Amino acid sequence: MPVKTVSYEELIPGYKFPPATYELSASLVSKYLNAVDSAGDGFVPPLAITACAIAAMTGSLSLPSGAMVIHASQELEFFKLVPIGTTIECHTGVAQKITRGKMSVLILELEVLDKGKEKVQSGRATIALPS
Amino acid sequence: MLTEIREGKTLNPVIKHITQEKINLYAEASGDFNPIHIDESFAAKTPLGGTIAHGMLNLAYVSEMMASAFGRSWLSEGKLRAKFKEPARPGDTLTINGKINCVEQKDAVSYANCIFECLNQKGETIVTGETIVKLPSDKE
Repeated sequence: MPVKTVSYEELIPGYKFPPATYELSASLVSKYLNAVDSAGDGFVPPLAITACAIAAMTGSLSLPSGAMVIHASQELEFFKLVPIGTTIECHTGVAQKITRGKMSVLILELEVLDKGKEKVQSGRATIALPS
Repeated sequence: MLTEIREGKTLNPVIKHITQEKINLYAEASGDFNPIHIDESFAAKTPLGGTIAHGMLNLAYVSEMMASAFGRSWLSEGKLRAKFKEPARPGDTLTINGKINCVEQKDAVSYANCIFECLNQKGETIVTGETIVKLPSDKE
C-alpha cells in the first residue's frame, strides 16, 4: 500500500504521523553500525532506534521541492536495553509549530514502544524549514 | 568503561573523519535522503554552500562516547539534550569531548550529569549538549 504523504500545511500541533513498525534485524543494525563507523556492543544502538523514528516521519512528509530542513536541537531519553531482533513501533507527531517570517520551526515528538507496548525511547526534535 | 566516576572526570574522546561516502552510508541506513546531505549540486546552491552531515550522525558519535564510558547504563537509561550549532561537512575531522559535570543523588539513586561538545578540526563547535546516566547501585 502506498504511504500517505502529508503536506507541510497539514503539520499542525497535535498532528500524528502514521505509526511505523520496524524489525531491528541483525542486518539493519549492522548497516547502521557500518554507517556510524562503530563496533557496537551486542544491543541495538539507541540512536539507530531514533533514526527509525525519524524515518517514520520523513517517509510520509511531502515538502516543497528544494526545501532545506535544518535540525536545530534534539532531546532523547532511553528506557531499556533493546536486543537485536526486537520489533518496535514508532509514534511521532507535531508538538509545536512557530512561524517567523519565511521560516518555520517545528517541534516534533517521538515515542518508541516494543511489541509488549513498553516504552523504549522518547524524544523531541526541533527542526527549521521554509514556511 | 570508566573505572572512576567523579566530578570533572573526562570521558575518552571519540574522533571521526567525515566523508561524503560516510554521509551517503548514513542516508542509506537511516532512510534520510534530504538532498542537503547527499546532493552536492543541490547543496552547493543553498546558503550552506555544500553538503552537510546529518545531525543524527554527529549524535551517534556522542552516543558512542557515552556507551564507551558507561556501557549498558547509557543504552538502557540515558538522557541526551543537544544543540546543533554548525554543520559538519565532508572533509571535517570531528572530536567529541565530554566530562562528568556533577554526580547527583535522587531518591537514593546516583546520576552522572555530563556535558559534551563536538568540535571540528578548526576548533569550531558543531554540537553542544548534556547527558544524564543513571549509575548502577553497588548491588547491581
